[in-house]
Amino acid sequence: MRLNVDGLLVYFPYDYIYPEQFSYMLELKKGLDAKGHLVLEMPSGTGKTISLLSLIVSYMLERPLEITKLVYCSRTVPEIEKVLEELAKLNRFIEKQTGQKTKLVGLAVSSRKNLCIHPEVSQEREGKVVDSRCYGLTAGYVRARAARADTAAGDGDGADPVPTCQFFEQLEESGRDATLQAGIYSLDDLKHYGRERGWCPYFVARRAIQQANIIVYSYHYLLDPKIAEVVSKEIVQSSVVVFDEAHNIDNVCIDSMSVHINKRMLERCSNNISAMEKRIANLKETDAARLQDEYQRMVDGLRDAQMKRENNQLLANPVLPDQILQEAVPGNIRTAEHFLNFMKRLVEYLKMRLRVQHVVQESPAGFLKDIFNKICVDRKPLRFCAERLTSMIRTLELTDMADLSPLVLVSHFATLVSTYTKGFTIIVEPSDDKTPNVYNPILYFRCLDSSLAIKPVFERYQSVVITSGTLSPLDMYPKILDFHPVIITSFTMTLARPCILPMIVTKGNDQVTISSKFESREDPAVIRNYGNLLVDMVTAVPDGVVCFFTSYMYMESVVSSWYDQGIITQLQKHKLLFIETQDAAETSLALLNYIQACENGRGAVLLSVARGKVSEGVDFDHHLGRCVLMFGIPYMYTQSRILKARLEYLRDTFQIRENDFLTFDAVRHASQCVGRAMRGKTDYGIMVFADKRFQRSDKRTKLPLWIQEHLKDSMCNLSTEEAVQISKRWLRRMAQPFSRQDQLGISLLTLQQLQSEEMQNKMRERVTHRI
Amino acid sequence: MAEDEEEGYRWESGYEKTWEAIQEDEAGLLDSSVADLVARAKRARLHRARPHVRLGIMRHLYLVLDASEAMFVQDLKPTRLICCLKILEGYVQEFFDQNPISQLGIIVTKNKRAEVVCELGGNPIKVIEHLRKLSSAPCVGEPSLMNALELAASSLRTMPSHASREVLVLMASLTTCDPGNINATIQSLCKEKIRCSVIGLAAELRITRHLAQETGGEYAVCLDDSHLRDLTMAHVQPPPAVAHMEAALIRIGFPSHNTSADSPGKLSYCMCHLNGPAPPEGPDRGGYLCPQCYSKHCELPVDCATCGLTLMSAPHLARSYHHLFPLEPFEEVERPPGGPPQHCAACRARIDTQKLISKCGKCSELYCVDCDLFIHETRHVEVAVTSRGSGYGGAARRGTLWVGV
Repeated sequence: MRLNVDGLLVYFPYDYIYPEQFSYMLELKKGLDAKGHLVLEMPSGTGKTISLLSLIVSYMLERPLEITKLVYCSRTVPEIEKVLEELAKLNRFIEKQTGQKTKLVGLAVSSRKNLCIHPEVSQEREGKVVDSRCYGLTAGYVRARAARADTAAGDGDGADPVPTCQFFEQLEESGRDATLQAGIYSLDDLKHYGRERGWCPYFVARRAIQQANIIVYSYHYLLDPKIAEVVSKEIVQSSVVVFDEAHNIDNVCIDSMSVHINKRMLERCSNNISAMEKRIANLKETDAARLQDEYQRMVDGLRDAQMKRENNQLLANPVLPDQILQEAVPGNIRTAEHFLNFMKRLVEYLKMRLRVQHVVQESPAGFLKDIFNKICVDRKPLRFCAERLTSMIRTLELTDMADLSPLVLVSHFATLVSTYTKGFTIIVEPSDDKTPNVYNPILYFRCLDSSLAIKPVFERYQSVVITSGTLSPLDMYPKILDFHPVIITSFTMTLARPCILPMIVTKGNDQVTISSKFESREDPAVIRNYGNLLVDMVTAVPDGVVCFFTSYMYMESVVSSWYDQGIITQLQKHKLLFIETQDAAETSLALLNYIQACENGRGAVLLSVARGKVSEGVDFDHHLGRCVLMFGIPYMYTQSRILKARLEYLRDTFQIRENDFLTFDAVRHASQCVGRAMRGKTDYGIMVFADKRFQRSDKRTKLPLWIQEHLKDSMCNLSTEEAVQISKRWLRRMAQPFSRQDQLGISLLTLQQLQSEEMQNKMRERVTHRI
Repeated sequence: MAEDEEEGYRWESGYEKTWEAIQEDEAGLLDSSVADLVARAKRARLHRARPHVRLGIMRHLYLVLDASEAMFVQDLKPTRLICCLKILEGYVQEFFDQNPISQLGIIVTKNKRAEVVCELGGNPIKVIEHLRKLSSAPCVGEPSLMNALELAASSLRTMPSHASREVLVLMASLTTCDPGNINATIQSLCKEKIRCSVIGLAAELRITRHLAQETGGEYAVCLDDSHLRDLTMAHVQPPPAVAHMEAALIRIGFPSHNTSADSPGKLSYCMCHLNGPAPPEGPDRGGYLCPQCYSKHCELPVDCATCGLTLMSAPHLARSYHHLFPLEPFEEVERPPGGPPQHCAACRARIDTQKLISKCGKCSELYCVDCDLFIHETRHVEVAVTSRGSGYGGAARRGTLWVGV
C-alpha cells in the first residue's frame, strides 16, 4: 500500500500494516527531518525491518539530496539475509507501483568466507584462513610478481608461474569503473553475479560500497576501527546508519577496542619476529632498494592521510589519533632492523609482565611509565607501532596474515595503550576466571568506555538509528554511548488477544522464597523449589519449554542437585531434556534434537544460560518455545576485576551508579532471554521470571514496555501453584482458533482503517515519548 | 450450598480471583475478547455455507481415547476421564441417531500402547457398554498417538471406498511416546484419506494440530466441560466427502419386524448373538429378518451376518438424508430500535432485549439464538413450516432399495 506518513509518500509492500509500524515510521520521519540520532524500541515480530526500510528508501526516493545512503548494520549473516529479502520485496513493489525500474543499488557485504567463489579457497572453513589465502592471491606485490613471472616465462625462462585468483584478475581487467547494475543483491545474488561474469564477488561488493544506495553489513564493519578503516571510511556524510538488534552495542564497541594477550601468543610473536629478521637479511642481499624506499616513506610521514582527513573525506579512525598524522615516524623505528629490535624488546617486556603471582591492575599511564623505566621505550614510537608494522608487512611482501596475527595484535595494543590515557585499564591476572587453579597468566587491555569506538560514527553521519526489541531503560544508552538523540521512543505491541503471559514467581508451594541471590542460591530448598516449578510448568505446557540459568556454573550445580532429588526423573516423564554446553558443536546438536522432539509431539525442555549462544541468537517461535523460565537474575560476575574497573569508570565519567548499571544489564539480558519465545503476533508464550527480586520496582520498571504492559499486579508475587493455574487457563484460551479476521481493525490495519480519524488518535496516544 | 456441591470442592478447583472478573475492556484484549471469539466461532460453524457439498453419510469413525495419567487431572469435573466418558456417551447416542448407517469403534491408548476396545459396529448400546466399562479402568503411563493411529488405519483401510474414514482423538496428555516417526504415519493417513480430528483437553499440542491440518480434520481445544461437549457434538454432522470418494450404488435391505406376539414364527436365536454367550432370556420369536436370506437380527442398522446386505429401516435412511438437504441458515439481524416487544417464534421469549437475533429467510420469523441453534443442530426442520414427508416409504415396503451414496 502507499502511505502518507506526515506528508511523505511511503511505499509499503504489504496489504496490511500494524498500527505500531505506522507510529514507528512517523517517529523515524521526524528524526530524519531533524537530521539527528534516534533510539527506538519496538518488540520483535512487529516488522521493524520493513518499517525502517520502507520509510528510509521512500525518503531517499523523494528527497535524494538529503539522504544519499542507507547503511544497515545487523548482527548475523541470517539476519542480513532477512533484511535483503525484505528489501528485494520492497524494490519489486516500488517498481510495480511506479511502473519503471528503480535506480536503487542495494547489497549485502560480508566476509570473504561468505562470498568467495575461488574453487580452492572457498573450501576453507575458517574465516581467517580464507582471508589470508585470498590475501596471498590478490595482494599488489603478489600480482606484480606474477606479472614478472609471466613475462619471464614469455622470454623462455623456466620460472614457476605465481598463482593468482582469476576472478580478481578479471575484475581488475574490466577496470575500476565497472559498476553494479541497479538492483538488490543478497549474498547469493552476488555470488551468482560473480560467477556469471567471472568477477570476484567480495571485491565487487567492496567497490560497490561507494556507489550503492543501501548497504547491509555487520556491526564490525563500522565499529571495529581496524575493519572500518579498510571498508567503511569513504561512506558519505549524508548517510543514515541503522543499528538493528542494538541492545548489545556497547559490548561490541568495547570488544572492538580491547586486547587480550597470553603467554602462547607472545611465544608466537617471538617466532614471527625471527622469521621476519631472516626475511630482512634476505632482502638486503637481493633488493636493498626496496628497504630504502620504505625508509623514505617513513620520513615523509603520514602527511597524505592527514590531507584526506582535513577534507573530511574519511571516517576518523580512533586507533589512528590526530597527532600521529601530523608527525613523521620517529627515527628509532624507521629502519626495519631497528623496528624489529624494538618489537623484540616490547615482546620480552610483556613476557616479563606476565610472570605474576597475583593480580596487577594499572592505568595506561602507569604502564607507559613502567615500560620507560624498564626498557627505555618512549611513548611516541609505541604509538606508531601499528602503522609501522603494516608498512613493513607490505614491504616484505608477507602473505600469511593469519600466521602474523599475534604480532599485529601486540602492535595494536602498543598503539592503543600509548594513545589513550583515559577510558582504558590494564589488568594482569595469573589465571582464568573459570579455572582459578590453573596458572595461565593473561594481560587484559580493556576498553571501559563504549563511546570511544562509536564516537566517529555519531559525529560523522547525519542520522544514526539505534533500534531493538529490548532497549529499556531507554535513557541508559545515550548515557553510556555519550550522544544526544533527538527522539527516544518505546512502542508497545497492539494485540487482539493477550498473547504474552509474563509472571513473576517469588515462592514455591511451601512458601520458601526463591531467588538466585548469593546467600540463598545453594540452599537445597531453593533449588528444590526451582525444580518443582519446572516440573509443574512442564506438566502444564505443551511442546517446547526453555529455561535460562544465570551461569554455566550455577546450572551445573542445580542440575546435579535435581538429579539427587529425583526431579530429573520427573521431568523426563513429560519431556525430553537437553542442555546447552560451552561447546558450540554439542549445543547445536542438542538444539537440533530439541526441535525434533518438539515437532514430534514428545515435547522437550532446554536448559540454557543467559548470555549464552542460545539466549542471543536462537529464536523459539511458536511450538518451539511455549514457555520460557528465567531462574534468577542474570547479573554479571561482580567479582570480575574488569567489570569493577568499568563500573568505577562509568561512575566517575558518566555519573551512573554501579547498581543501576548492573541492574540495567541484568534486566536487558533477562528480557532478551524471555523475548526469545515471542516472535510475532500469531505466536504466544509464557514468560516466567522466577526470582523474588524481579518484583521490586527497580527491576520491574526496567523491563521493556511491551512486557510491562502485560505484567499486571496480579501476575506478580505468585507461588508455583498459582502460576501453573493461571498458565493452564491461559493456554486453553490461546488454543482457540485465531484468524486474521480477528486481528483486523485492532492489531492489523488496512489502508482505510489506518486513515480513519479514530485510529490515528489511538496511535498518537499509545506512543510514549521520553526525551 | 447446593451450588457449591455441583462445582465440587473449593480446594479442587483452580484459584478463582473473583475480583479480577471485574475488568475494564477498553483495551479490547482481555477475557471477554476470547469468549467473544468462541461465540462467534459457534455461529460461524452454523452458518458455514455448504450448499452443494457431497457429504459422506456412511461414516466409519474410530474414537481414540487417551487413557494416560493426564486423564486423572481434575480440571474437568470430577476427572477428565469421567467427564469425557459422559460426554462421549451422549455423543455416541447422537451420532447413531443422526448417522444411522454409520459405524463407530473405540481405541484406547495408555502406557505407550494402544488397543481396540470396541470394534467398528453399528450398535450404540454395545459401544456405550464399552465406554461405561472404561470408567473403572486405570489410567497409567503416557499415550502413544502413533500406535493408536496405526491401529485405526489398519482397520479403516479395509473399509469400502464409498464410505468415509474418520478418526476422532480426545487427547489429554501433552506428550506422546512413539516407537517411530509419527510424521510417516501422518503421511500414510493422508494417502489412505483418513480424516483425523483432534480435541485437546489441556493445551495446543503442535503435532495434533499438524495431524488435523494434514488430514483435513478439525482441531480444537476445550475451555471447560460445556465447551468440550460443544466441540464433541460438532463431530456429529457428517464431514464433506473427500473428492476421491467413489460414488456407488449400494443395496440396502429393509427387513420386516416380527414381534414375538403377533407372528407364529419359530423360536430361534438371532445372528448377532449366535457366537457369543446365549442371551439370558433364551431364544425368541421376534426380530428382523433379512429380506434376502431370512437370517434373523435383533437390531437395526446392521450388516447382515450371512449375506452381507446392509439392513436398516426407512426412518434411518430418511434421517440421514437431512444432511443432504440442510435447513438454510438464518440471517443475523440487528435489534430493531424501539418498537413493540418481540418474541421468539419458537419459545416465545422476549428477544428485543437480546444481542443477537436470527431471522428465517423463508418465512421472516424471528428466533432467539438458542432456538436458532436448537433448530439447526437437533430439529433440522423449521418450526413454522410443516415437515416434508419422505418419499421412500413405498420402496421400503417392497423390501430392498438401491441407494446412491
